[in-house]
Amino acid sequence: MSSIGTGYDLSSSTYSLDGRIFQVEYAMKAVDNSGLCIGLRAKDGIVLAISKLVHSKLLVPKSNKRIASVDQHIGMVCPGLIADGKALIKRARAEAQNYKDNFRMPISGKMIADRMGQFVQAYTLYSSVRPFGCSTLIATYDSVGPSLYMIDPSGVYWGYFGCAVGKNKQIAKAEIEKLKLNELTSRQAVMEVARIMYSVMEDDIKDRDYEIEYTWICDESDKKHVEVPSDLIEEAERKAKESLDDDDDDDMDDE
Amino acid sequence: MATKTGFNFDNYQRNLFLEHGKENNMKLPKATKTGTTIVGLMFKDGIVLGADTRATEGPIVADKNCEKIHYIAPNMYCCGAGTAADTEMTTALISSNIELHRLNTGREARVVTAMTMLKQLLFKYQGHIGAALILGGVDCTGPHLYTIYPHGSTDKLPYVTMGSGSLAAMAVFESKYKKDLERQEAIDLVAEAIQAGIFNDMGSGSNVDVCVLTKGKVDYLRNYIKPNVRKEKEQVYKFNLGVTPVIKESIRNLVDVVEVNEMEIDQ
Amino acid sequence: MNTAPLKPGEVSLGTTIMAVQFNGGVVVGADSRTTTGSYIANRVTDKLTQVHDHIFCCRSGSAADTQAIADIVHYNLQLLAAQEGEEPTVQKAANLFQQLVYQNKDALSAGIIVGGYDKYNGGSVYSVPLGGSLHKQPFCIGGSGSTYIYGFCDAEYKENMTKEECVDFVKRSVALAMSRDGSSGGVIRLAIIDKNGVERIFVPGNQLPQFFEG
Repeated sequence: MSSIGTGYDLSSSTYSLDGRIFQVEYAMKAVDNSGLCIGLRAKDGIVLAISKLVHSKLLVPKSNKRIASVDQHIGMVCPGLIADGKALIKRARAEAQNYKDNFRMPISGKMIADRMGQFVQAYTLYSSVRPFGCSTLIATYDSVGPSLYMIDPSGVYWGYFGCAVGKNKQIAKAEIEKLKLNELTSRQAVMEVARIMYSVMEDDIKDRDYEIEYTWICDESDKKHVEVPSDLIEEAERKAKESLDDDDDDDMDDE
Repeated sequence: MATKTGFNFDNYQRNLFLEHGKENNMKLPKATKTGTTIVGLMFKDGIVLGADTRATEGPIVADKNCEKIHYIAPNMYCCGAGTAADTEMTTALISSNIELHRLNTGREARVVTAMTMLKQLLFKYQGHIGAALILGGVDCTGPHLYTIYPHGSTDKLPYVTMGSGSLAAMAVFESKYKKDLERQEAIDLVAEAIQAGIFNDMGSGSNVDVCVLTKGKVDYLRNYIKPNVRKEKEQVYKFNLGVTPVIKESIRNLVDVVEVNEMEIDQ
Repeated sequence: MNTAPLKPGEVSLGTTIMAVQFNGGVVVGADSRTTTGSYIANRVTDKLTQVHDHIFCCRSGSAADTQAIADIVHYNLQLLAAQEGEEPTVQKAANLFQQLVYQNKDALSAGIIVGGYDKYNGGSVYSVPLGGSLHKQPFCIGGSGSTYIYGFCDAEYKENMTKEECVDFVKRSVALAMSRDGSSGGVIRLAIIDKNGVERIFVPGNQLPQFFEG
């Protein structure tokens, strides 16, 4: 960034000379520091996963959940600044409830993504506020079927077959692109997510304590957003670790 | 009993007692409804609006030749019945807003737009603005005629009447209205309906105002008919010169003239 | 007091209105009388108001109140259709009516029937009566004239009628109510709403179905 230090990065209400808003780009950097977060759209549902560093031995395992339910049929996770994510989740819940009050129908994935996109974008307009330091993955299963959206700190959102946010997202994306998501079941998708998570994070957090959180919303979960059953997670993580060892073996063979 | 500051509601309690107390059945004085006959109809090329010109304050005729057909826009006029002040102010306000709307859009305003503005204003005031209106005009979608009631409801009809004389006027329309009348036939029918109001309704009277709205042209025919012109007195009540006999004549000088000698004063 | 009575001088729709489901859509119908006290202010009123391409409401109660509500719902449905990129469901429309009537129950006298077609549920009918509750029904009648024809409608209604049977049922029901209710009369107005759109039918006062006339 050649223009750093020229004063155009002090406020999100000021453009730089080449037409960029640095504060928004910095917010995206904040997201990149987050633990890896993956969303996959399989043929019968969506799987969400996020890895978290456990920074203290005193923390109760499996507490401090990062993936939240916004409504029965909406899962949401906000990789990046945790507190900002909480605010977005709170807003999403209010939007979902508001829609239900007005129309007595659950809000569609498209609508909640649109409303949240507008909300996030509003925080890129004023010097008195700071853009959200997190991206937002939204997993829904509605009358259209399963859908996955990702909103970034600028407020733009896209529908995805699969997406990755956070540390090493490029490697994860490359892995996701190899998958045939239209043929995968949600169960298989959980396996793939675990495998990618472990293979990508391997070098980073080898000797640090971490935890991966998995949720899904699929036919098996009755189109409701819930945690992935623990036996399935155990199986997925076991297989993921095995394949890592295999790779290591392969590496050995190569040497 | 009486408080020294703030509002005092003693009279409210007293009035309740006078109205509803045992053996009291006094009634509060009732506001007298203002009378009017206003009508409108659709003919071959546009709209004809009509109105009488009597304004009343209770039993008294306050103005014998007032104007009840108000300007809204170059292509729209509006007859008003009910509280005169309210019809005057609402039509003036909507006229102003329609003018701004025309300037903003760069197009001639539509009649539905004025109708919607009027109904939303009147609905907001829940009938407290006593304006009963007939709105007529011609726009890019053709001629339109609406009635608007004080509570904010509207009707769209080929011929309409309002005000206390509306029943008399509607009787004329119901028996004689036809589709696609010629211009002069339409004006005659409107004038006849207004005269039915003038002659059969106590609240209506004096003259007939007519307004003809066609595509690109408006004819405001003020006092189109004057059915109540005050006639010459059949007899002259002035006394002719010389009919009063002079019995006695006396002239008294009210001024005393005193002679004064200037020389005496000087000395 | 739960709901507002008619204010003095207010224009009222002493009315007969109804909506009936058939296989593939909905038929809505109404008489055409609008009154102020004993005077008929409009004898050819259209009490069937279109609030979206495939959704109608039948209005009874105060003309001003129901017109204002219908205008607001019309606006909201237009907005919603633009935001969601698809036609609103009848349920959403009915819920908007219910919200408005319930939240302003102290100030309104409005009894509304919502009928229409959407691709998820086909034809459907909802009733939003005076207090602001919401009822989904296969058919619904409302207004002052409806009290005279409850028995007739219960006896004559059949499930899965054809469009023609349904139109005939609505015509005869409204005509019967008009002949017994002084506040209902004039002509019959109908609208048939199905996936192909809307068809309007007008039955003049001298061509109403005939019944016992004494």
